[in-house]
Amino acid sequence: MFIKRQLAIIVMMSMGFLALSGYFLNFPTLREFTDKDAPQWYMIIAGFAAFLGCVNLLQLHIQKVTKKQENWQYSIFTLLGFLVMIVFGFIYKNVDAPWGAHLKDDGSAFYWMYNFVYLPLGSTMFALLAFFVASASYRAFRMRNFEATLLLISGVLLMLGRVPVGAIIPWWVVLFMYISFIFAIIASKIKDKRIFFISFLSTNIIGLVLGTQLKWNITAPLFLSIPSIQEWIMAVPATAGSRAIMIGIALGVLAQSFRIITGRERSILGD
Amino acid sequence: MNELKQYFYFLIIPLIVIAIYFLNPADIFVNGNELSFVSILISCFMIEYFIQKSKNGEDIYLRPIPAMKAMEEAVGRATEMGSSVLYVPGISGLDEIDTISGVIILGHVAGMTAEYESDLHVPCCVPIVMEAARESCKEAYLKKGRPDLYNDRMVHYVTDDQFAYAAGVNGIMLREKPAAIFYQGKFYAESLILAETGNSVGAIQVAGTGSSSQIPFFVTACDYVLIGEEFYAASAYLSGSPEMIGSIKGQDYVKLLCMLFIGVVFLFSIFNYFEIFTFDMMTLFNINITN
Repeated sequence: MFIKRQLAIIVMMSMGFLALSGYFLNFPTLREFTDKDAPQWYMIIAGFAAFLGCVNLLQLHIQKVTKKQENWQYSIFTLLGFLVMIVFGFIYKNVDAPWGAHLKDDGSAFYWMYNFVYLPLGSTMFALLAFFVASASYRAFRMRNFEATLLLISGVLLMLGRVPVGAIIPWWVVLFMYISFIFAIIASKIKDKRIFFISFLSTNIIGLVLGTQLKWNITAPLFLSIPSIQEWIMAVPATAGSRAIMIGIALGVLAQSFRIITGRERSILGD
Repeated sequence: MNELKQYFYFLIIPLIVIAIYFLNPADIFVNGNELSFVSILISCFMIEYFIQKSKNGEDIYLRPIPAMKAMEEAVGRATEMGSSVLYVPGISGLDEIDTISGVIILGHVAGMTAEYESDLHVPCCVPIVMEAARESCKEAYLKKGRPDLYNDRMVHYVTDDQFAYAAGVNGIMLREKPAAIFYQGKFYAESLILAETGNSVGAIQVAGTGSSSQIPFFVTACDYVLIGEEFYAASAYLSGSPEMIGSIKGQDYVKLLCMLFIGVVFLFSIFNYFEIFTFDMMTLFNINITN
């Protein structure tokens, strides 16, 4: 019980304090311990755990196949993949290179399996992300409320600003977008559709005339250029939002670390 | 007397420590880390102060966080539907604080599944996380008086590879159709693959991560998300112990302090810009910022 509870807490607390003091105290030995030795210890422990993971994987899937549990057929593929890679890694290498070095040899069976089976499968999964992004964007960009509409508008502006076609969109199109957006907001306030249409049309005409007079067709102001709007969205509101989240995360990490180092948070040890 | 003690512990001691650090006798402290040291020290003492206050019986209000309330609802829903609960602890090792937080929250979720007698499934990407998760679940089932419901197979290893893990977990989702899915830990590009698949099977999804770049994906695809510090506060919130709740209040006061500093820096920047006075605050902390 002492090893599982008190000793574990003592190790957790002392390692936490050591790691923290290594950053502030000017003792090279301590610094070396926190920067090099401690991560190596972690790697050694993780190495032992990797063995446990493999045993667990085999146990689980062999049990599934032997007991013919639900969907046991999939387990055959897992076991086959596991065995084939073990054979190509430890038993059969197909090249004259020494054991170990054969893993990086072009002609080895292991290298072939890695390059032509494992990597393409990983890339396929990664490529699926594009479709998931599309479906998630569709859901996020539906105009359900004001926030979703803002998201949709900024999303469209960002997409346009990041592609070459965004740079050739003339100033009057952007002006038309601005005016349309403002009128979309005030649309519910104007009951008479005729007045609404006339004011919308006249505002656009006034904007066009004013822009031509101010020679915006030669040098358009930044707020009428899609790439500049995109840059502003990324540099100001997006950065402000992400920084707020980052500060919150940093404070959360600090408080959580404090709870762990002072031994108050012991659930990680199963307490 | 008590107040004097408090002043000594939470004001005099930190000031003395800061003074020693700045004096740096016999060069025992690293130069250039003054700002980090002062901020960590002030934050820690502030958190400790509120922990002590909370321990002494002061009532602390915590605003209700929908995602945390939804956790129990999600487990309850899974029980009603007769489906399992899937818990994904992320793809990083225990050297990441996010994974540690994920495993801590797992303990609370396992307690709920033990109480509601619903099935729990925890596929792990890192073997060492699997071991910690097992211990956490085992203990939670024991605490709830249902060790009979626990079995080692509920927490199992899938693979170390990021996308192979995503494929494995997606397979579990599509085959088992869990009614509740929790994503709590460190996630990278696989977050959207997992969350969208979970969404397609109609599960109620509760996510929490410290990866700021993955939060938007979870917000889009999940029903509830623990954003930023909420994720780290979740375990304290769920435990309900006054000590832990006090630390959340302390954390909030540190945040207030940060906001004040942002305001001060903003004012100084304006003064510098108009050349009213040109004082570089960073010189206070021996930090040189070069453009």
